[in-house]
Amino acid sequence: MATLPQLLEEDIQQLDEALRELLKQTDATTALVIDQGGFLITQHGDDRKFDLTTIAALASGAYMANQTIANLVHETNFNSVYQHGEKFSMFTLAVDEHCMLVVIFQAGVSVGAVKYFATPAAEKIRKQLKEAHQRDPAEGLDLSVLNLADPSEVFKRKRH
Amino acid sequence: MAIINQATKELQVKIVYYGPAMGGKTTNLVQVHDHVQTAAGNKGKLVSLATSSDRTLFFDFLPIEAMSIKGFRTKFQLYTVPGQVIYNTTRQLVLRGVDGIVFVADSQYEKMSENVESFQNLEENLRSLKLNLADIPYVLQYNKRDLPNVAPMEYMEFILNNREVQVPAFSSVAHKCEGVFETLNMITRMLLNKFISQNTPQYA
Repeated sequence: MATLPQLLEEDIQQLDEALRELLKQTDATTALVIDQGGFLITQHGDDRKFDLTTIAALASGAYMANQTIANLVHETNFNSVYQHGEKFSMFTLAVDEHCMLVVIFQAGVSVGAVKYFATPAAEKIRKQLKEAHQRDPAEGLDLSVLNLADPSEVFKRKRH
Repeated sequence: MAIINQATKELQVKIVYYGPAMGGKTTNLVQVHDHVQTAAGNKGKLVSLATSSDRTLFFDFLPIEAMSIKGFRTKFQLYTVPGQVIYNTTRQLVLRGVDGIVFVADSQYEKMSENVESFQNLEENLRSLKLNLADIPYVLQYNKRDLPNVAPMEYMEFILNNREVQVPAFSSVAHKCEGVFETLNMITRMLLNKFISQNTPQYA
């Protein structure tokens, strides 16, 4: 089974709503839902300041590295990572076994508030992802509108 | 595994370049980054988490969007793993969520045992993630074909591609960008074909 279900518009709307509410409650700058493979699922907030695709890949790697460290110290409940900076800080919290919630906020914003409000936000996201899984567990990816003009050369090399 | 977002008509796919240390995995990504034709904004930064001596420590990461696929914004995320034996835990992390694999082998005779060990390590690491190489599209790239001490292609095939189902294999000189795009296009094609054939409605 794929780690993530096919996400429909209603799923993304619910995830976005959870992120929007979280940003409102915490004054955080940007919130993302990412998957442990490094994919950015959805995001809300200021997306011009940051390269969110790369942040998703790196945050996932950092979180998964922390999980591995947790296993090495026989800790089973290492479910969040907090990175404290001078300008911006970042808080990553597990949503379920496949996904994480990442919150980027200015260093002046209370990390306590971010941690406090991130927990119910992660719960809302978890519920929606579970619902998407249960909608039709056997359903694969619907790529019916995918149109591959020339499959032999998806990527072309520049000619000098 | 690949992520599909029907709301934004976006498909995200993860390809991992695997292989022995110093085999040319990072060079492949550098060449794709430097030479791929893209519209503005469709190619991300090449991020390398490397040691001070430019050896991959965690991974290299290059996000690119395919221009020629209509209907979906198809984003490919290219990763490399660190080849050095000591970084096995890191390789396992990078393999999470993988959709397709490019195995970059070093064609030099003296590197053959490292190629085989790395390939076995790939299979073991996939098993630890409850994945099976037979279920994942992958291609082989025999790199460094410009060096004088390379093994013949037939020998490389015998060593690395001697299975029930043989996969496409390419010779390459990655630092000159030879074979790099051919390899990337093949794994891309295999992945898209897999997605499409798996999800074509079946009619009685």
